[in-house]
Amino acid sequence: MPSTFSGDETAPFFGFLGAAAALVFSCMGAAYGTAKSGVGVASMGVMRPELVMKSIVPVVMAGVLGIYGLIIAVIISTGINPKAKSYYLFDGYAHLSSGLACGLAGLSAGMAIGIVGDAGVRHHSFVFKIGMLGITSMETDLIALISCTQT
Amino acid sequence: MSGSVMLGESSSWSRALVNISPYTFSAIGIAVAIGVSVLGAAWGIYITGSSLIGAAIKAPRITSKNLISVIFCEAVAIYGVIVAIILQTKLESVPASQIYAPESLRAGYAIFASGIIVGFANLVCGLCVGIIGSSCALSDAQNSSLFVKILVIEIFGSALGLFGVIVGIIMSAQASWPAKPV
Repeated sequence: MPSTFSGDETAPFFGFLGAAAALVFSCMGAAYGTAKSGVGVASMGVMRPELVMKSIVPVVMAGVLGIYGLIIAVIISTGINPKAKSYYLFDGYAHLSSGLACGLAGLSAGMAIGIVGDAGVRHHSFVFKIGMLGITSMETDLIALISCTQT
Repeated sequence: MSGSVMLGESSSWSRALVNISPYTFSAIGIAVAIGVSVLGAAWGIYITGSSLIGAAIKAPRITSKNLISVIFCEAVAIYGVIVAIILQTKLESVPASQIYAPESLRAGYAIFASGIIVGFANLVCGLCVGIIGSSCALSDAQNSSLFVKILVIEIFGSALGLFGVIVGIIMSAQASWPAKPV
């Protein structure tokens, strides 16, 4: 146990957990969106098979959420390098907040895409609303990028 | 407190974390990587398999094609095994004086977070592929032209497990333990 204790040794814990939160929660949102709208597409496809390929849009937007989480997680985890640049508690908490911002926003966007995609696909009127949801998740992703580069 | 000097503010949470061995965190990470991935694969397979078998009563032609949904779910468990094996090769023994050094603490946290990422990303991927596979089987039983189209959606779903594996492997490269003194 070192006699001078500054708490900075535990900073990587929060940093890595931020990267984990970014990826895991975005993947949860992407999975929910893909599954819920996929079930809607399959149900609608039984009656109208010709509309199925057009209805893939909500699934693609949900998949993009997973990619946002991947990007932020990789940026955070390659930024934790105490040999190159000292890693204080501030950096750890900044990474944690950016990971949570990206991940929880991706989770909510994915749930919204799933519910709206499912309903919209069953009514063939999905395109613009899904686009709006994708854009909100991209904005929160930009906020996450800015906060993880504060270090 | 026996004569320790605190630089700046540090909470009791930090003190508690610093006293937990990095090997604890590593072991939990490796266990979560494989355990939760297999949970996701099993959950997906049971969702898909029960719908597939039920739909095949009236439409037996769907059985062999729709096994591919089960294979996508199984792949998720294989990702978990691969990453758990990679993570356990990252474990090194350090001398007792170095166990609580900042570098070993960081290595322990990296393995822990890597395991959590892979485990939970594979869990949700398995669930997603299972749900879509079940609706794929049911819609294939109604109209066999739908199989390939719903399979495209399933491929999007299975990409989520791959994202987890990629980030887990990138993060495990950060797990460098302090070098043994010569």
